[in-house]
Amino acid sequence: MMRTSLTWLLLALAVACPCGLSLVIGLDAQQAASPAGIPRTADGKPDFTGTYQWPTYLPGDERGRSSATVFDRKRFAPLKPGGEAFLEPRTGDPRHDEPRDFCMPAGFPGGMLSANAMQFFQTKNHLVMVHEFQRMSRVIPLDGRAHRKGLEPMYYGDPVGRWEGDTLVIETVNFKRWGLDDYYYTNPKEYRMHSDAMRTIERLRWKSPTSMSYALTIDDPKIFTAPWTQEFEILAKPEWEKDGIFEYVCEENNRCPGGKCGNEK
Amino acid sequence: MKAIVTLSFATVLAIVLATARPALAHHSFAAEYDDQKPLKITGTLTKVDWMNPHVWYYVDVKNPDGTVTTWAISGGAPGQLMRRGITKDLLVVGSTVNVEGFKAKDGSNNGFGQRVTYQDGRNVFTATDPVGRAPQR
Repeated sequence: MMRTSLTWLLLALAVACPCGLSLVIGLDAQQAASPAGIPRTADGKPDFTGTYQWPTYLPGDERGRSSATVFDRKRFAPLKPGGEAFLEPRTGDPRHDEPRDFCMPAGFPGGMLSANAMQFFQTKNHLVMVHEFQRMSRVIPLDGRAHRKGLEPMYYGDPVGRWEGDTLVIETVNFKRWGLDDYYYTNPKEYRMHSDAMRTIERLRWKSPTSMSYALTIDDPKIFTAPWTQEFEILAKPEWEKDGIFEYVCEENNRCPGGKCGNEK
Repeated sequence: MKAIVTLSFATVLAIVLATARPALAHHSFAAEYDDQKPLKITGTLTKVDWMNPHVWYYVDVKNPDGTVTTWAISGGAPGQLMRRGITKDLLVVGSTVNVEGFKAKDGSNNGFGQRVTYQDGRNVFTATDPVGRAPQR
């Protein structure tokens, strides 16, 4: 009954002004039933098991010069006073400027946006995301547990997942201060560092039987005045499943740590 | 067998032409290579390291004075290349190849290979689009 009243109220708003219309459309998008034919598990949950392309841009978002996906600055919330450290300049020390030059981890969310294949495995109690880039593995409990306590800050944080209807919501906390994305390849003066207070929320849902919406919220109260979200698309790539994901051992032949290659073979 | 090989090259060429933004990983083009220093060499392919984080292949170039300079050329991550249909066996050690790309900033005999072709014009692979959309690390 209350839901019906709310719907009428929103419809009235929609008729009254364009902002009301936007609100209605926004709610419809959130509450819309999943499209027919999406993969589901035996217990009826959306099934994200499969092989995928990395999260890619929606039309109109900035792409940068990197082959990785990067965040579009227009999605950012305003920086807080003191949040300028988010945009650290390069220092000339490659261990600071480009830690992955030394095979250090990309971390989350930067690694998730790298331009490599991903494979997901879902059980009743876990979603496991394996990313080809640096073989990043994220084991996300879905059994309702709370975040672990007393851990040291981590490159990939501590994730837990929960279902909101057909949307899987993954909240991750306990990050180490680290690079947010690969934007410094586009603009060396914008080495985006998230803080150790960052919390991320990922919202994953099928929008067609072969395409997922992947909305990633960055909540970093030491840097931004408010959480902000950028939505990406994740495409299913069943044609990649015959090969699976390939090995990625960065240390195997990292010839140029710090950009110093030398002439040796 | 020959027909299969020909098809493979045609397939690779088609993939290369169709991929406007090929995806590369790991390397920072901007940090290590200079897009103002183009590299264009012809020489003998002597070695292929099909390993992470980037493939490297080595080309011996004869100088006018008779000496030989070995160039080490970097490309994408093996997995990314293989997913585009580009495999190690397309680089045949002992063959003469043309390499176009960019030189390392540090003045060493290292480079980033954008395009590799055989003497008959066959395209072996293209590692990235012009002026290196910075491959990631």
